[in-house]
Amino acid sequence: MADSCIQCGAELGVPPAFCHICGTIQPFRPELSLFAVVGLPASFDLDAQSLRERVLDLQKMLHPDRFAHADATKRRYSLEWSTRLNEALAILRDPLKRADYLLRAQGVDALGEQVKVADPALLMSQMMYRERLEDLLAAKDLQGLEALRTEVTAAGDKAIEKLGIFLKTLPCSQSAAAGAVLRELQFLDKLEDEIDRGEESLQNL
Amino acid sequence: MALMQIAEPGMTADPHQRRLAIGIDLGTTHSLVASVLSAVPTVMRDHAGKYLLPSVVRYLENDEVSVGYPALAAAGQDPHNTIASVKRFMGRGHADVQKLAGHLPYDLVPDEGMLRLRTRAGEKSPVEVSAEILRVLKALAVETLGAEPEGAVITVPAYFDEAQRQATKDAARLAGLQVLRLLAEPTAAAVAYGLDKKSEGLFAIYDLGGGTFDISILRLQAGVFEVLATAGDTALGGDDMDHAIAEWLIAESGSPQGDPVWRRQLLQQARQAKEALTEQEQVPIHLEREAGNSRALTLSRKQFAELIQPVLQRTLPACRRALRDAGLKVSDLDGVVLVGGATRVPALRSLVAEFFQQPPLTDIDPDQVVALGAAIQADALVGNQREDLLLMDVLPLSLGLETMGGLVEKIIPRNTPIPAAKAQEFTTFKDGQTAMSIHVLQGERDLVQDCRSLARFSLRGIPPMVAGAARIRVTFQVDADGLLTVSAEESSTGVRSEVIVKPSFGLDDAEIARMLQESFAHGAEDVSQRRLAEARVEGERVLEALQGALQSDAALLDATEQACLDAARQDLQQCLSGSDADAIQKAAEAVEAAAEPLVQRRMDSALQRAIAGRSIDDLGD
Repeated sequence: MADSCIQCGAELGVPPAFCHICGTIQPFRPELSLFAVVGLPASFDLDAQSLRERVLDLQKMLHPDRFAHADATKRRYSLEWSTRLNEALAILRDPLKRADYLLRAQGVDALGEQVKVADPALLMSQMMYRERLEDLLAAKDLQGLEALRTEVTAAGDKAIEKLGIFLKTLPCSQSAAAGAVLRELQFLDKLEDEIDRGEESLQNL
Repeated sequence: MALMQIAEPGMTADPHQRRLAIGIDLGTTHSLVASVLSAVPTVMRDHAGKYLLPSVVRYLENDEVSVGYPALAAAGQDPHNTIASVKRFMGRGHADVQKLAGHLPYDLVPDEGMLRLRTRAGEKSPVEVSAEILRVLKALAVETLGAEPEGAVITVPAYFDEAQRQATKDAARLAGLQVLRLLAEPTAAAVAYGLDKKSEGLFAIYDLGGGTFDISILRLQAGVFEVLATAGDTALGGDDMDHAIAEWLIAESGSPQGDPVWRRQLLQQARQAKEALTEQEQVPIHLEREAGNSRALTLSRKQFAELIQPVLQRTLPACRRALRDAGLKVSDLDGVVLVGGATRVPALRSLVAEFFQQPPLTDIDPDQVVALGAAIQADALVGNQREDLLLMDVLPLSLGLETMGGLVEKIIPRNTPIPAAKAQEFTTFKDGQTAMSIHVLQGERDLVQDCRSLARFSLRGIPPMVAGAARIRVTFQVDADGLLTVSAEESSTGVRSEVIVKPSFGLDDAEIARMLQESFAHGAEDVSQRRLAEARVEGERVLEALQGALQSDAALLDATEQACLDAARQDLQQCLSGSDADAIQKAAEAVEAAAEPLVQRRMDSALQRAIAGRSIDDLGD
């Protein structure tokens, strides 16, 4: 059943935020998924660049700057759509957040506090990475940090590739295995952030 | 200029049908107004041909007000009634400006709430003083345009917080201006450059004013200006260069620090030398402390560069932070734009070129560029073509809530694109708690005392439940001006409370810089403080729970158990008054272990009571 415009009754496109016939902004629909808001099918396989362009194209029509002179109701619709578009971009452009969002949609909370990481191999590699990071920072070894970053980024890319396989068909049938990869990726992302921060503090010395 | 002349069919820009809009750069030392005239953004000049209006307001006898050059000239002889640099007071309270006030000749009214200055025309708030400047700019616009503008875009520093933005908006309203949008100064500069040069790609905007430094990273693509990150150091600016020269003069001339008048004179000469060195390779400086005691010195551009190196180096950490927040490397950038008078210094230009690995863009006058960008956006917002222009800005400082133990839980991190909303669930801490106080804060540190308080409000009427059972959902909504609304709702019952955050005064610029810097410098300290605060909350919770249980059911324990529990409890109390997180945690665990028999027996008896209760109810039916 297609949605229709509140103003002219014309059939709305995807997402149903804006009528392409009469140009009227439509009431916000909080129930729409982040994928529906940007007008894409729910999928892990997504090109960050085209997602960004898509969101910005939608922002050009829906951003509050376009409604600086509109009535209060339309300004509110604009604020709500625009806010949700920003949220969609932030979550869907990031492979970790995107995978987590897809797993949550099927009721799997892989990164929640109650999930205890019980993978000894992951724990071991985490400890080794951390020790290396601490040693490099103590030695103020910027080149070593760069090498470590390259390694961590490569490991992250591999984890994203694995997630792509697990999440190829949705809902994911191996959610436990996907959750384990997600936790690994979360660790790698945090580590990369720490490398960045460490590097920055060495540069600022 | 081709991009600016594109017009939709039927929307051709007929000069008589164009809607008039202006952009205003309301600066610390000077202000100016610009508008898009015949498709060209242009600054407006007064009768003397000047476009810079000194941001100085003087209250005269007979309720007259003078603004600009005449007021500036009178600053020395009539300091109490002549207000300069009022931008530093915007959105501040009396307590916020105590540090600043020591150096200023103003008579501040010691009151709660918004700051007020005592003048011969009565007490004036910074909002009112700023409104005088805006009135003069508006009159210049009306005269130039031949009609009232429909709306204005006013620029604010990117790091301006809630209170400062709100105060700026209030001043514009007071001056009879319809504010279309508050725009970050670096973003405005990017708009002026991007549209003029038809540039695309990633740009850094390096903005060094008299007393503040601001760096923003933007992506320009197909008319969209997307701010990726912003950072700054608000206790750093061109004034610090003057101080560096003055120090050198004191050292070279062998004269002692001297009195404030002498020092002011040195600073004046330092500023003149700095400005002269933009054009000349060296300047003579003639020092005359008193008649007959004079000294001639020469300052070369090279020496000057060495003197200000420490000042220049201090801008780099913020540049690195902004790049990291944007997830970019220096080599990713397509251009660097310079804004602010202090960026005319040649040594600064070469440092920027070295750090960013490319010569900076300087072809638009750094004094005009912000106002020109504001004019372009104002033109777009009133509906004159430019359907393709879109500015996506970010929140400059993180927003959070106070949680137990004086900690701040960040809800929306800095550099989140706006508009933005975020909801977070909190729960009650005590059994039967029916109200919850919500304290909204802005800043990067972990502890409440280190962040800026924006607002407090209460959510009442929470149905009494056991601790941890209520679900309080707090939603933050930040609009496109960077202004905040907070609402809270208890999920199971729908009890709601909402507040539009309108603080009466805001953060001190220097305070923001300090907070940002400290958050990086004290990262480790914060982690241990956070652990201690968490351990204390947990320890107190254990004691409180035990207190409640003992009150009703102490009889369930025998004498030995009771003594054992008392000892553990006293130990925990002792630890809580200290500051060892590990000790508190261990002691709390010991209390819980000792209380286990009590917990077990209470549960048993509660079960029995429940069963008994039910049977009585059943009988009642």
